[in-house]
Amino acid sequence: MANLENQFNEETLTIIENFTPKIKQCLHSTDYQEREDLEQEIKLKIIEKLATVKFQNAPSFWDFFS
Amino acid sequence: MGHDNQKIEEFFYKNNEQVNNPIIKSFLSDSKNLYLVQKAILYPTEINKKLVDESFQSHYKNIRKVKYVSNLIYFFSLDFDKKRTRLQNRFLLILDRGISEEGGTTAKELIEDESNEKELNNIVGVGLLDNIEDEQLLKSLQKLTVKQLQILEMIYVKDLTTKEIAQKLRTTPQNISNLHRKALNKLNHTLVKKGE
Repeated sequence: MANLENQFNEETLTIIENFTPKIKQCLHSTDYQEREDLEQEIKLKIIEKLATVKFQNAPSFWDFFS
Repeated sequence: MGHDNQKIEEFFYKNNEQVNNPIIKSFLSDSKNLYLVQKAILYPTEINKKLVDESFQSHYKNIRKVKYVSNLIYFFSLDFDKKRTRLQNRFLLILDRGISEEGGTTAKELIEDESNEKELNNIVGVGLLDNIEDEQLLKSLQKLTVKQLQILEMIYVKDLTTKEIAQKLRTTPQNISNLHRKALNKLNHTLVKKGE
């Protein structure tokens, strides 16, 4: 159980790290006083969503080749 | 071995369209996945096929996640700003309100700092003679008559027009203009003399 949690945490962390440039870019949509808040909110939201959203089951690889 | 390669090539050739599907393409660009697929083509056992499927499904899910997060960041930041602007406009401080309907300049931008100006005047003084740095010029100015000094001060320090000065001193604009010219001439004269 703890193992699964660890795996999830690591995955989330990599995703956030990989998306940091994109987040920084999107911060420009708000005033500069609000940017730090927004950055935090976005990261929070990502963690929340990755934990709750069930990603649809993928189709089988061989379905493409039938 | 040559036979194997032929078999794999044949498979990809037959399914050219699917292989060019972006998700399959990105899946196969990983050499580990490509190896699994090749193995499954050559030895299409259940286990080999299942291995490919597992790998493919995690790949597919990852792509979904990335896409999801990417959209999330974009739309969340837009919403965040909208929400903030709406709240701010609802509880607007009087000073933050725009002067006109369109906004632009706010009321607080038009507040003048009077103490600042006063301080500057206290240090420098407001008269013409207070503002001269050149010593020679100061001495030449002191040689002018009081009236001439007054006129120069009104023209160059207070930025009044000849007409306004004439009204203040109860004479004609022509007279002011004359006195002004005479004063400048006298200044010029004394300065040139000193320069020699």
